[in-house]
Amino acid sequence: MQTPDSCSWQDVVESAKKLRMKKVLIPVLSLTVCFTIIWKWTLGFSAFTIFSYTLKSAGEIPRTFPDLQMINQDGKVFSMKEKQKYVLVNFVYLNCPYVCHKVNNQLEHIYHLFDRNTVPSKLEFVTLSFDLKNDDIKKIQLYRNYFGSDISGWSFALPYQSSQQAFNQFLGKLGVWKYSVPSTGIINHSVYLFLISPDGKIVKTFDPARDNDYIIAEQINACLREKAI
Amino acid sequence: MPRHQLLQLPIMLGLGIVSGWRYSNHFNIGVSWGIAILVFIISSIIFWMLPHSIDYAVINTTFNRVMHINMFVAGFLLFPTLKHTLFEIKILFLGMVSAMMIATGITLLTYNLLLCSAFTIDQQKETGTQLIILGLVLFVTTLIVFFRGLGRR
Repeated sequence: MQTPDSCSWQDVVESAKKLRMKKVLIPVLSLTVCFTIIWKWTLGFSAFTIFSYTLKSAGEIPRTFPDLQMINQDGKVFSMKEKQKYVLVNFVYLNCPYVCHKVNNQLEHIYHLFDRNTVPSKLEFVTLSFDLKNDDIKKIQLYRNYFGSDISGWSFALPYQSSQQAFNQFLGKLGVWKYSVPSTGIINHSVYLFLISPDGKIVKTFDPARDNDYIIAEQINACLREKAI
Repeated sequence: MPRHQLLQLPIMLGLGIVSGWRYSNHFNIGVSWGIAILVFIISSIIFWMLPHSIDYAVINTTFNRVMHINMFVAGFLLFPTLKHTLFEIKILFLGMVSAMMIATGITLLTYNLLLCSAFTIDQQKETGTQLIILGLVLFVTTLIVFFRGLGRR
């Protein structure tokens, strides 16, 4: 049987334990809540920019390339499904002051890393414009000429009969962020390159700002070899 | 970007600090609550420094208001908490914030690709430079607080 003294001693120990627990628990709880919010917001500390967040939110690859009719510099209407070969897709707009042209110069370098046996028979390049207001077939044709006359298998295109809303939905499904700065009219957007397989699936994404041209070409070649096997 | 990160965030934080200043004497909370609040403040600063958050605050008004309120509350709690917390925690907190600002500044300054969609590369680099300067000022302040604190002991 417990004496009143031993009982009170136990109570003191218990309350001290509880107090210590409470002291530790409050900061730990605060840390856990804050950590969880940042964890969720960055998709598990993997997407810190809106570009990577949009790409990750669109889903894991391989996934289906969303359907979109496009029109190329020669006025030919096409979609990715009809290509039946690997296609490397990127996005630009012609009034871009900086990044788009830099990416296209990089793409030109990547294009020339492939021989004539690969492009255009097994692989094609498609550069699609964002700017439905200002870009037209004539402009993209002129722009394409800057990259030389011998670039068969590299099409410059526009969305065909697509409203701005439908095109934005397409970009969202693809995982491409686009934002028009109201004051300047500049379109800031993701610069990812998407490799589409012959069965219309996105099998690889590349970030030309980070990935080396040779590594991109090597990874595309690896996909082509895989398909050949 | 400079307006957002170098004016909006610090101004709201500053307003909060000024508002919380007068209540600092009536705000004596324990060490554990102090640490919990400092964790909340540092997490808030981290959250609003993420390029994703900056972008979203620019295009979404509600999110921008949440940012203002969050920064104000963080500022309001900052001074009373730091005043009554342990000297070591105070130094650790100030040191961490200044290091974080300098690291973010270096990232923005050296990265040649756009991290925030709502701004330009030039604005990004300008923000980076200013953040480094602010971080260094805070670091010097931390050193002053540190040596003054040591002198009193």
